[in-house]
Order: sequence, then C-alpha cells, then structure tokens
Amino acid sequence: MPFAESPQREFAAATEWAAGRTLDALTGAEGAAPPTPAPAAPEPQALLAGVRVLGPDVFAPALLTGAPTPPETTEIVAEAFRVFPSDESGIHTWRDRATAELLTRAGYPVSAPTPPPPPDPGEDGWQHWSVRMAQLSCLALPTLDGPVHQRAREHPLALARGAARAVLRRDHRTSARLVRWLAWLHRTGTPSTLELPPLLRQLALTGDGTARSALDLTVAAHLAAG
Amino acid sequence: MNPAVLGDAHRLATRALEWLHTAHEQGHGALPPDGGADLSDPDNAYKPIGECALAASLVLRETVSGPTERERARVLLDFGWQQLRQGELLYERQFRHMLLSDPLETYLHFHRSGYRHPALDELLSGLDGLRATHAVETMPNRRLAIANARHVIGLGSRPDWDALAAATWLGARPEPWAIDWTTGYSVTHTVFHLTDWGALPERLPAPLREYLAAWLPVWADIWRETGQWDLLGELLIVDACLPEPVCDPQNWEQLVAAQRADGLLPRDLDPVDEDPERAFKDNEHTAVVGVLAGTLTLARALR
Repeated sequence: MPFAESPQREFAAATEWAAGRTLDALTGAEGAAPPTPAPAAPEPQALLAGVRVLGPDVFAPALLTGAPTPPETTEIVAEAFRVFPSDESGIHTWRDRATAELLTRAGYPVSAPTPPPPPDPGEDGWQHWSVRMAQLSCLALPTLDGPVHQRAREHPLALARGAARAVLRRDHRTSARLVRWLAWLHRTGTPSTLELPPLLRQLALTGDGTARSALDLTVAAHLAAG
Repeated sequence: MNPAVLGDAHRLATRALEWLHTAHEQGHGALPPDGGADLSDPDNAYKPIGECALAASLVLRETVSGPTERERARVLLDFGWQQLRQGELLYERQFRHMLLSDPLETYLHFHRSGYRHPALDELLSGLDGLRATHAVETMPNRRLAIANARHVIGLGSRPDWDALAAATWLGARPEPWAIDWTTGYSVTHTVFHLTDWGALPERLPAPLREYLAAWLPVWADIWRETGQWDLLGELLIVDACLPEPVCDPQNWEQLVAAQRADGLLPRDLDPVDEDPERAFKDNEHTAVVGVLAGTLTLARALR
C-alpha cells in the first residue's frame, strides 16, 4: 500500500510505520510484532528502507524484554542491508555497525565498514557533540557496547546538558534521544546529573507525535527502570 | 583563564561604561525636574540612577579598571548623588515609607563608594531593629538583595544566609530544563546578592555552586542563541561570581560582537530606537550589565 506520492515521503512514512510496529512489540500491544510484511505494511522496497533507517532498534523489543525477534523480521533487516548497502562515510556508519552486530548474533552475518572515530565533545563543544550523540541514540541498547558507548560514559554531563538544552529549545526528538543515552548510562552504572523520572514524564506529556520519538522514550523508560 | 575572554571582558566593560558616561554628559539619566521622594514611577527615573551607581560602585570596588574608567565611575556616582540631593531624597522616601526597601538598596551603592547621609544611616539602623521590616512579604531573591544591602552598609542584623538561599528557585536546585526567562533573572539576582557581586563566593552554598557549574552553560547557550543580550550578560556575571569560569568563551565573543561602535549594548535583537532618550531608557540596564560582567570577570581572574 503506497503511503505517499514521493519516494522520500514514502520511505519516511515506512520508517514511522516500522517504528510504530516496534513500539507496539515493546509495549506489548495486542497482536504486536516487530516489522514484518503484513496487509497494512508499506510497499516492499519502502518497508526495507524503513527497517534500514530504524537499524538496531528493530531488535530493541528482544533486547529489552527478552521476547525473541521473529525470524521473518530478522530476514527483512538482512535483506534491507543487501538492498541498501552501508556507505563508507559519516557517523551513521556506527548505526550500521550495531545493526550488523545484532544481525550476526541472530545468525545473519553481514559486514559493515569501519566507522570514523566516535565524536568527541572536545572537537566543537558539548552542544554539537550532544546532537551527534542523539543521532546515534539507537546504539543505546542493552548488550551493545563500544567506542561510542565509551564516549557516553566519559561525558555524562555533556549528554545531560545536551538533553536540558534540547528541552529548552523545544527540540523534542533530540531530547528523547539524549534522555535515552542518559537512561543507558543509568542502566550501565554511570549516574546521571539529570533526574530521569521527571524528564521522562515531561517528554511523554509534550511528545512530538511521532512513533520514532515515542520509541526512543519507551526504550529510555525501559532502560531507566532496569 | 582564557586570554581572549579577558580581552572581550575588558572591551565590553570599558565601552559600556564609556557609553553610560557619554549618555549622562548628554543629559540622559536625570530625574524629572519635579521629582520628589514620592516618585510615582521609580522604575523610569529613580531605578536607573541606582543601577548606574551599582555599576560605578563596583568599578571602584575592584582594582581592575584604569584611571579613565575609575574617573568615569566617580563622575556617574557624583551625578547620581547630586540627583538624589546628597541622599536627602532617599532619606525622605525611607522616612515616609518605612517598609519600602528601595531607599536602602539604592543607598548601598553610594555608601559602598564613601557617600554618607548620617540621618539616613540612623534611620536605617532603627528600622533594621524592627520585626516589621524583616517580616515584609518579599520574593526570596529580593530578600537576599535587602539582606546584602543591610550587611554591606553595616547594620546590625545577622541573616541566616543558607535559609535565605534555600527559599529561592535556585535553592531548590530545580530541573534545569524548566527554567524560563523571568526565572532566569531570579537565578542571577539570587547569586548577585548572595555573593555580594562576587566578593563572597563562599556565601553561595556548595551544592548551588555545583548546580550552577553544571547548568549555567546551558542557560547561557539558550539565551545567546535567542539574542537575549541582557540576560546573557547577567548569566556571565553569575559565572564571574563562581570560583572558576564555567561558560563557553563564545558567549563573550557574541556579546562583544553585539555591542555597537558607540558602546551601546542592545538588550535583545529588537532594533534600537532612533530616539536617543528612548534608546538610553531601553538599553541603560544592559550597559550596566556589560560593565559588571566585564569588570567582575576580570576581577575574578586577578583574585
């Protein structure tokens, strides 16, 4: 079923759809399952694009609740990786690397290019760094760890400042993504300078209405409760 | 400390003080000719005299300004003291309205710089002994302003600074993402008065110092981005009241870049009014803020 008239909008809509399905699986909504072909699903190529954008988050329900990822979902992620190969540049290759790691664990070995060094707040300040870390928030999942996570551990205050700044700028998506990192730090033993429960409540009340932000917030809530 | 910041601080303060001085030479900042002790709108005449005196008194308190700046500061104080009829206006206003605090708070700046009105000293000392003056229902950050004025003037009361600090918004160490523009000014004034404008940084409780070290950079960033130069300048004064700088040097660069060639520092991104009297009224407070931010930042660096 086509969602939109242009491929770009169709892919964006498919990403929302896939995020919504993942969110349902995470929250245990009735009949929920991670993204799989279904009567209401986007066109096959758009579905692959949406799953590709969602990246490691397709596996978030399994990593956070222990519910197994359906094999057909894993197959779609692997297929998405073949159809849309990882490019060789930019910090988003860290997302591809995380997806590749989770696919390999699930029995679908794929390779991803070596990412650039993880961003560092010393380069151009905590403001820009926190925004880049927000773009990598899908790495904030249980069992994932690596150089980006190490950077987060080294700079919890910069992440907290970034989260507070994003809330004050009414940038809901960045707020949700950074609170997810703070929750991951909490879960892995690094205390947050920001209290998480009031911030999670506030962001839930002032949501931007997208499934992607709701997914970030729900993952954050699971991590914070863990 | 970052030498570029010190250069920016010096430039900002010197030019803002020059602008204030020039504006007074041109006749701005005087009380209306018929002004008496019962000024119906003190914000428009009486308050700016106090604010200019504040800036000038701290230029003289610190030892970081050159002889030209110290002379300009003295000229501004002399002008204000003359406008207040050598303190007589403050005395009359305090005599008639014993629960008002603005005569005390205005007198503070002149008293700090050596001006005296003996009858006002005696009156303030008597009022300081009343439960009635201490029990006036006032915003918590304003209570700190009054307590600090009594302290600097040397009145007898001994406030519980920690309790006064704890009653403010800042004292609650609230969620830093919940601040708004007005509350930003409450925070800055809490720190100004609690530390007596940076002279007593230890009077700011350690948990509040740590809280500000974490979140002041965020607030400065937010109001820098929105071009709220007046509030950004106040936040940089707060930075100067902390033991070590915490804000990004870019804040200073942008504040200096916003200052016009004649030294006027606009309060925000709105166009500056072409009428000189209006421009003075709109931006006089921000000039005072610029003088204080620069002077106190230099003073902290040399302490």
